[in-house]
Amino acid sequence: MRSDALKLSAVYTKMIFRSWFQYRVDAILRSLAVFMREATSIIVIYFTLLKFDSLNGWNIYEMLFLFSLVYVTYGIMIIFFTGLRDFGKTVRTGGFDRYILRPRGLLFQLIFANADWFAAVGHGCLGILLFVLSAAKIGVVWTPARVIYYIFSIAGGVLIQGAIFLFLAALNIYLFETNALKEVFYWNGRKFAGYPISIFHKAIQFCMTFVVPFAFVNYFPSQFLLRKDDMAMYPEIFMYITPLVGIVMYLLAYLFWRVSIKYYKSSGN
Amino acid sequence: MSFIEVKEVSKTFKVNKRSAGIPGMIANMFVPKFENKKAVDGISFDIESGEMVGFIGPNGAGKSTTIKMLSGILCPDSGSISVNSYVPYRQRKEYVAGIGVVFGQKSQLQWDLPVIDSFELLKAIYRIPEEMYKKNLKRYTDMLDMGGFINQPVRQLSLGQRMRSDIVASLLHSPKIVFFDEPTIGVDVIGKETIRSFIRELNEKDKITMIFTTHDMQDIEQTCKRILIIDKGSLLYDGSLQEIRNKYGTTRQLIAEFNEDTEVTPIENVMIGDPKDRKRSFTFDNSVVDVNALMHEILGKYSIRDITVTEPEIETIIRKIYNKEVFA
Repeated sequence: MRSDALKLSAVYTKMIFRSWFQYRVDAILRSLAVFMREATSIIVIYFTLLKFDSLNGWNIYEMLFLFSLVYVTYGIMIIFFTGLRDFGKTVRTGGFDRYILRPRGLLFQLIFANADWFAAVGHGCLGILLFVLSAAKIGVVWTPARVIYYIFSIAGGVLIQGAIFLFLAALNIYLFETNALKEVFYWNGRKFAGYPISIFHKAIQFCMTFVVPFAFVNYFPSQFLLRKDDMAMYPEIFMYITPLVGIVMYLLAYLFWRVSIKYYKSSGN
Repeated sequence: MSFIEVKEVSKTFKVNKRSAGIPGMIANMFVPKFENKKAVDGISFDIESGEMVGFIGPNGAGKSTTIKMLSGILCPDSGSISVNSYVPYRQRKEYVAGIGVVFGQKSQLQWDLPVIDSFELLKAIYRIPEEMYKKNLKRYTDMLDMGGFINQPVRQLSLGQRMRSDIVASLLHSPKIVFFDEPTIGVDVIGKETIRSFIRELNEKDKITMIFTTHDMQDIEQTCKRILIIDKGSLLYDGSLQEIRNKYGTTRQLIAEFNEDTEVTPIENVMIGDPKDRKRSFTFDNSVVDVNALMHEILGKYSIRDITVTEPEIETIIRKIYNKEVFA
C-alpha cells in the first residue's frame, strides 16, 4: 500500500515535469522570475538596513539568516501544499469533484497533483543563497546537534505554513473564497517574519506567536542558534518547540479539513 | 435488490438571495439572506444491472444533482441510495473504483500532455493491472479509431477527439457503471454517431450499466431504451421511449399540397391549418381519426399533388410533458 502511494506520487511528479517541459523556456524563466522577484525585495531591504548598525541587536547577516529560513521553508512547502493554496480555484472549476471520483485520498491527490516544483526551485535557491551568505558570518558553530535541530525546525516551519493553507482550504468550503484572508493572515504575516518580531508592537508580536505563528518558522529557531538579548522577552521553551507547533497545528487543521469535507458533500458548491 | 436503488431522495441547497441594486448588495454583505432551493424532491427509482438509462429534463431540473448523488460527490439530505450494494457517499474509495464518470463539459485529461500520458496516470491512480490496461486500451482505441491522435497533446485535439479520449479515460479500469453527463455536447454529427455506436456496443457486449444526461434527444433515441424525465426536482416519467410514443405521441400531422388554391370544408376532429404555398396541414389524433379514411376523403375531394403524414418528434412530446400539457 505504501509503496503503491509512492509509485503514484512518482507518476504525478513525472506528469508535472513533462507538462512543464512542453514549454521548456517558460519553465526555466518561471523559476528565474520567482528568484529575481524575491531577490529584488531582499536587495531593497539589504540596502535599507545598511543604514542601521543593528535592529534590536540583530545585525544585517543575522537578518539575512531570518530571511533564509522564510524562503527555504516556503520553497519546500509549495512542493507539498500548492494544491491547498490554490484550492479555491480547484473547487470553482469542478476539479475537486474529479478528485472525489477517484479512488485515492483527497489530500494525497491535491498535494501530489499540484506540486509547484519550478517556483520551489526559485524560492529554495534564494533561501539557500541567503543561508550561504549569512551562515558563516553569524558565529554559529555547526555541531551535529545544531544541524539536526536546524533540519527539524525547517520541517516544523514547513508544517506550520502547510497547516495555515490546509486550514484556509477547509475554510474555503464554507466561504467560497478565502483569498482576502490569505492575503491578511498569510502574506502579511510572512512580510513581518523577515524581521526580528521584538521590534514590533505587542499586538503584532502576539499575532506572530499565537495566531499565525510565523515566529516559530524563523525567529525562535534562529534564537536557538544566535541567542540574542531580545529572547529574554519570551519563554525560553519557545526556542525548542517549532516541530511540535508544526505537528499540532497540522493535526488541528487536518481535523477541521475532515469535518469540512463532510460539509462539502452535504452542501454542494 | 436492484443494482441501483434510489429511495425518496431529496436534496436542498441554500442559495444566497441577493436583493436588487447597490443598497441591496450592501445589505446582503452584512445580513445575507438565504433561500432554500429544493434541487431534488423525493425521487425514487431502480435500475437493473446492464440497463442503459437516459435522464432528461430542462436546465436546473435536478439532473446533475441526481448524478452527483449517484456518483458520491454529494450526499442526499434524506432518502437512501445504494449502488452495487455500496452507499456512494459513505464508501467513497471502494465505490468510485468501480464507476466511470464522463463530464462532457469538463475534461479529466492533462491539457498539455499527449492523451496516452493521461491514460498512464489513470492506470496508476486506479491500480489497473498491466494486462487489463493493455487489453482495454487496445480495444477502445481501435473501436474509437484513436490511433491517429493518441500521441498528440490534448490541447491540439478537436472537441470530438477530446471527447472520445475522455470516454476511454473513464473506461480503462473496467467500471461496472458509467455516468455520462452530456457526452456529445459540441461534437459534430459524425463524431456523435461514433460515440453513440460505441456506447451501444459496450452496453450490449459488456453489459456495463450506463446512465446518461443529455439535451440531445437523438442521443437518447439511439441509445437508451428507458428514460427518466425530471423537472423541478421531481420525477415526471419513468419508462420506455416507445411507451411515451404510444401514450402521448398519437398526434399526427398530414400535410397536403394542392394543385390549385382550394377552399377546404371542415372535417370532424381534425384541425386544419391556414394555407401556405398551397399547402395545408391537417392535425389529428390517430386514436380518434382513422388515417386511411382521412386520406381517402382528402384525395377524393380535392386535386392533390403531394401528401405526407408525420409522427411528432420525441422532443415535441417531451416538451409537452414539461409543460404539463400531458401528464405522465
